[in-house]
Amino acid sequence: MLKSIINYILDLGPAVFLPALMIIIGLIIRMKFRKAFTSALTLGVAFLGMSVVLDFMFSAIGPASEAFVKNTGLQLKAIDLGWTPLAAIAWAWPYAFLIFPIQIAINLIMLAFGWTNCLNVDMWNVWNKILTAVLVAGVTGSLPAAFIVAGIQVIFELKNADITQKQVYQITRIPGIALPHSMSMFAVVLAPLNRLLDFIPGLKNADVDAAKLKEKIGIFGENHVMGFIIGILIALFAKYDFKQTLTLGVQAATALTLFPMVAKLFMQALAPISDAAGEFMKKRFPGREFYIGLDWPFLAGQPELWVAAIILVPFILLMAVILPGNAVLPFGGIINICFVVPALIVTGKNLVRMVILGVITTPVFLYIATTFAPIITDLGKKVGTVEIPANQLITWNGMEMPVFRWVFSQGADIINGNFLGFAILVGWLAIYVWYYKHMKKREEIAEKELSANA
Amino acid sequence: MKRIIVACGSGVATSQTVASKVAELCEQRGIMAEVEAVDIKSLDAHIKNCDLYISITPYVKEDYGVPTISGIPFLTGVGMEEAMKEVERILKVK
Repeated sequence: MLKSIINYILDLGPAVFLPALMIIIGLIIRMKFRKAFTSALTLGVAFLGMSVVLDFMFSAIGPASEAFVKNTGLQLKAIDLGWTPLAAIAWAWPYAFLIFPIQIAINLIMLAFGWTNCLNVDMWNVWNKILTAVLVAGVTGSLPAAFIVAGIQVIFELKNADITQKQVYQITRIPGIALPHSMSMFAVVLAPLNRLLDFIPGLKNADVDAAKLKEKIGIFGENHVMGFIIGILIALFAKYDFKQTLTLGVQAATALTLFPMVAKLFMQALAPISDAAGEFMKKRFPGREFYIGLDWPFLAGQPELWVAAIILVPFILLMAVILPGNAVLPFGGIINICFVVPALIVTGKNLVRMVILGVITTPVFLYIATTFAPIITDLGKKVGTVEIPANQLITWNGMEMPVFRWVFSQGADIINGNFLGFAILVGWLAIYVWYYKHMKKREEIAEKELSANA
Repeated sequence: MKRIIVACGSGVATSQTVASKVAELCEQRGIMAEVEAVDIKSLDAHIKNCDLYISITPYVKEDYGVPTISGIPFLTGVGMEEAMKEVERILKVK
């Protein structure tokens, strides 16, 4: 009986059941009905809006990617959508909202016991944990495992905010904040590689004027320009004629411009809830010294970030074509923010090192995006945010902390007897211990430098 | 109607959080303003026609040619009251 009620509700689709849920949550946190209603309706609009843009994208890019596969023989069947459609799909996971209390509870407990100094008020990136949970559930088939790994992720994120706080402050000079964003967990992979680069003579102080470079090539980072270029490239490989090629360029530009415009609606809808959750948390610890954990864009003013991301684009495209077994057709996630942010911190804003590390680790992103593509496609089909054409996969190339997600989904798979996966997880944890100590040391150095300059 | 823009890395999450907050505070204080979240990569296209730019990233005062304040207080809640007074002052003068 209960099951059939739940099934009926889920069958209504996320554009209906999530707004309904949202009104209930809104009233519980004492929003006025008018506000709760408009927020909830905005959420429904966001879901359907994303479906509309995705349908448009598949109608344009879908046939082109088929022609691409036919003409080149390259099996790039998984379109990289970038993070905005992925967020829409993740929020539509039926258990998505349960991650809110998990994140809040773990953060409050860790603060109370002094296990972290970070109060994370970034409620938008709850969706990062939702995506992890989805992937773990996809690999293991276990919902409890999904929630446990999501909880573990919260802990790692907060610890990472602790061990990067002073280094982040050195970069931004904004006091009182830290970066608990999951993307910076990729530093666990980057830090040892960056340490190895120390042994290459000449690299230690190699650096260039990123601000000047950004003025020159910054235009390529704009969504419509990048979309246009990639659309044209796909069309060329697909052997489209001149008119079709230009049309696909503009269509791809349209998709990449509209994705964030629609994704903004999600934030508009969720703002009252995330606001209330943030207030709730701040009130719990009056007088306690802590850092406020924010989403990453307070780092977005660093020119190295954009220059590195843009320089990496041709490498990503090239590797997508030449790497054996890769299925990702790079598109929406081509500006790989989730790499450049941790790289910025790990290298201390060294552009040359950022690019080298980017080239080295691009295959990691591509292969993990390939591995997770069937699970992401499956969820996309189930929640119905997207009508995915048969034989087509969707994925996200520049995913946050791809290694953490892969390692933990494999490790959690021990419940199905995957001992190799668990062994890999243990290996990752060993690297993490090194990373943790390494970053602690760097925090001490940063603190000394800061007090010397003060 | 005054126009305020907030920029972040994608014009989606952080900037919209600040924009929603500032819009709500403006409404409470009877300030007629529209607040828009934009993509920092396309900032040049937006900054020309706004009365106030709220920056999430550190900035130099003369950078943009429009009044600029920091958006961090609206995220952390620390110093938000003062920041809002600054918003009011800037929008009134213009």
